[in-house]
Amino acid sequence: MSASPETAGIYVHVPFCLTRCGYCDFNAYAGLDHLASRYVAALLREAELAAPDWEGVGVVSAFLGGGTPTTLEVADLKALLAHVRSVFSVTPDAEVTIEANPDTVDEQKLAGLLEAGYGRLSMGVQSFDRSVLAALERVHQPESVTKAFRAARAAGYDNVNIDLIYGAAGETLESWGRTLEEAVALSPAHISAYALTIEPATALGRQVARGDVPAPDPDLEADMFEAACRLLGEAGYGHYEVSNWARPGYECRHNLGYWERRPYVGLGAGAHGYRDGLRSWNVRPPEEYLSMVERGELPVGGSEELEPADAYLEEVFLRLRILQGIPASWVDDGREEPYVESGLLVRDDGHLVPTERGMLLLNELVLGLTS
Amino acid sequence: MDTSHIRNFCIVAHIDHGKSTLADRLLELTHAVADRDMRAQYLDRMDLERERGITIKAQAVRLTHGGYELNLIDTPGHVDFTYEVSRSLEACEGAILLVDAAQGLEAQTLANFHLARDAGLVIVPALNKIDLPAAEPDQRAKELADLLDRDPDDILRISAKTGEGVEDLLKAVIDQVPPPTGETDAALRALVFDSMFDPYRGVITYVRVQEGELPSGARIRLMATGAESDAEEAGVMAPEPLPVDTLGPGEVGYLVTGLKDVHLAKVGDTITLAGKGAATEPLPGYREPKPMVWSGLFPNEGGDYSELREALDRLKLSDSALSYEPETSQALGFGFRAGFLGLLHMDIVKERLEREFDLELIATAPNVEFHVIRGDETVVVHNPAEMPVPGTYDRVEEPIVFATVITPKEYLGAVLDLCQSRRGELVDTTFLTPERAEVHYMLPLAEIVFDFFDHLKSSTRGYASLDYEPWGYQESDVVRVDVLLHGEPVDAFSTIVHRSKAYAYGKKMTERLRELIPRQLFDVAIQAAIGSKIIARETVKAKRKDVLAKCYGGDITRKRKLLEEQKRGKARLRKVGRVDVPQEAFIAALRADAGAKKK
Repeated sequence: MSASPETAGIYVHVPFCLTRCGYCDFNAYAGLDHLASRYVAALLREAELAAPDWEGVGVVSAFLGGGTPTTLEVADLKALLAHVRSVFSVTPDAEVTIEANPDTVDEQKLAGLLEAGYGRLSMGVQSFDRSVLAALERVHQPESVTKAFRAARAAGYDNVNIDLIYGAAGETLESWGRTLEEAVALSPAHISAYALTIEPATALGRQVARGDVPAPDPDLEADMFEAACRLLGEAGYGHYEVSNWARPGYECRHNLGYWERRPYVGLGAGAHGYRDGLRSWNVRPPEEYLSMVERGELPVGGSEELEPADAYLEEVFLRLRILQGIPASWVDDGREEPYVESGLLVRDDGHLVPTERGMLLLNELVLGLTS
Repeated sequence: MDTSHIRNFCIVAHIDHGKSTLADRLLELTHAVADRDMRAQYLDRMDLERERGITIKAQAVRLTHGGYELNLIDTPGHVDFTYEVSRSLEACEGAILLVDAAQGLEAQTLANFHLARDAGLVIVPALNKIDLPAAEPDQRAKELADLLDRDPDDILRISAKTGEGVEDLLKAVIDQVPPPTGETDAALRALVFDSMFDPYRGVITYVRVQEGELPSGARIRLMATGAESDAEEAGVMAPEPLPVDTLGPGEVGYLVTGLKDVHLAKVGDTITLAGKGAATEPLPGYREPKPMVWSGLFPNEGGDYSELREALDRLKLSDSALSYEPETSQALGFGFRAGFLGLLHMDIVKERLEREFDLELIATAPNVEFHVIRGDETVVVHNPAEMPVPGTYDRVEEPIVFATVITPKEYLGAVLDLCQSRRGELVDTTFLTPERAEVHYMLPLAEIVFDFFDHLKSSTRGYASLDYEPWGYQESDVVRVDVLLHGEPVDAFSTIVHRSKAYAYGKKMTERLRELIPRQLFDVAIQAAIGSKIIARETVKAKRKDVLAKCYGGDITRKRKLLEEQKRGKARLRKVGRVDVPQEAFIAALRADAGAKKK
């Protein structure tokens, strides 16, 4: 879409976790730590196999996600990043993020990570409310969050994200307000706040289906979203995506790449990649991933070529997530009118941008504008 | 055959009181079926097996015994088919009144007994199942004796299961039931008491020759419809079909008419010979089938209107009582408004459409026919949509039935309460025995078509039985209640109810729809209204949240597919004004009312 040289992001997936949380449907496993060193070796190998196709493409961001990447040794993580830098054209100012759980890091480890080049830290805090953490089956306690955050500061991190989840069973608007206040009090550069989504293929999903746990109340979640918008806005965080707030200049470049549909490389079990209308993904089971890479094969599990209609739908629903919105010319004449009138969309310099209320009803907007 | 050796009779009995088992014993006793071919429920199973082949029902079976020709004539056993029952009874001179010695008389048996007695039939009463431990033959015999005004010792006691007493019963039929009368050389008059359509042989009628002779292959004329045809074959069921040369006076048999449309040979019509030798007067008592209950029939979601039309057209070939006309519903699409003899008939038609034609149907709540009177003009309304708004007519009349309920005395209070709550007017209560009461009520038919059976059964633990017959029309304060979504009426939910029930209906429907209508981008008012007056209201609050919380690199394909799924769902929605409603919501709301069941 632009004349500037192609750039890309790299996502590296680490599928290991201390325990499996009830709500999480990511490709992550507890009890597979014995595969860690083989896995790191395989990542290095996969990077080598994948890199030739990306020659000359400037990698402007990398993101180590999981799972819990910080279950790996600092030395391994350092070697991994160094290797990625050696086989891809990673730009000097690339944003490099690593996800961490409060219980897997201390000041020493964090200092090691910063020194290894992981300049941005994303902490899976989820909540400062003990009962909410319990409902989410998170093993850490609110105190370890504060402790881990202070350790990050002491280790020299200034670009730290805090992940929060709202809407778990038993959480009230007041409790969520306190979680937001605690988060703001730590003054991180970036805050992500997600409405709890019940995924059917999870322990929590089954509990909800059985009626053992109530499904989140969408109206309460809407109230919580509005509380987040208000409190985070007042604290100086800009709302730049449905679930993401940042201090100016600290928006996550890597994630923006997904929403702007820039290319990305996926490394690791189940990781997805995208380039020029082709979306592909690696095999999900770690053992399968290991054996394929160890045989010298790219561990591709599947791919899809986007039809123009798919691409259009994607473009609309991804771009509406970020404040950029979509050019008004993409929408058939008049379709946006009822949404503009009812205050879900605003027109901004030839673009249609969702309002806060519109963000909460984004699916409706996307379907209304494209169908 | 000399008419003095003919006996025509039927068995009047409640379901499960042993009619089929008695028929088995009679077949055995008269050697109608070879021992090796005999099996339980022989006649019923003939019908079932013939569903796949040629459908000549065992509607009248000829048995021979001791030089007598005995014609056992079947009668339909339900309140919807009173007229058909009366025609079958016209074919008989006698009736076995068969009563379970444990259960006693039931309302429907009683109703059919009255029909039989009114038709001048000789009644041969018998208590069945005397071998059962629960049998109370003395008490039941007294009940029957009181009813018939006879000595309890006259009541035969049999066990159709073991065969005990069956021969005596057969002897009683021969001794007590008079032979038919009728001149051989008179002009032919044969009563059609059942009629059916067979895909291979066309219309087959079951006839009782009153006078004259019906030869196989005659050119016949149906006197009510005027249809003429070359009949293909006359015969008797013995119990397998057996062609005969001629059916003479007093005889009962079938006639393959050569007609292709069952509407040309309806129950109650008179067959005579065409041309020379035709009778001038038909047999008395012919009546056009008259629908009593109407319902909208629509194809289920994705279903095909033309398939439904074709199925109805084909069904009508074999069901002369079925009528229908196209109807368009904004909520349910294209369909038909169909008229039925009653609820059972409606259920039968629905079941046949679904089973034989593999259709999935949505039926709107059944309603009766109202007469709207303005000056000297009467408008017949059998669709709520046709009901004019209040103030534009003088009055409305609704159909009333004379209902008979038989109940054990401990449930009498519950029965009276139920009938009272259904706007009933008590006629009288009598006791058949000290334990069993017979209650007569005048009830609006509209109250019966609406889950009355279910309530009667549940409030009497299944012990009460019901029968009713039409009793004309009566002025009534009925109103049309509309259900509106965001100000737009939803035609499928409009109904005509008595004013005293309007609020309850409105409240029930609005509450039900509040649960079923998905939240929209705006508050949706769900209202029930009489004319412009709102009588109930619920609100579906505007949806506030519908967004995927997370969407990163690995999620995009899956989330796009979720959206596409949601988009397909949206495409299936029906619009009522500004409100999007899934058809399932309409169906669910209607299903909850499909409570009216056959007995």
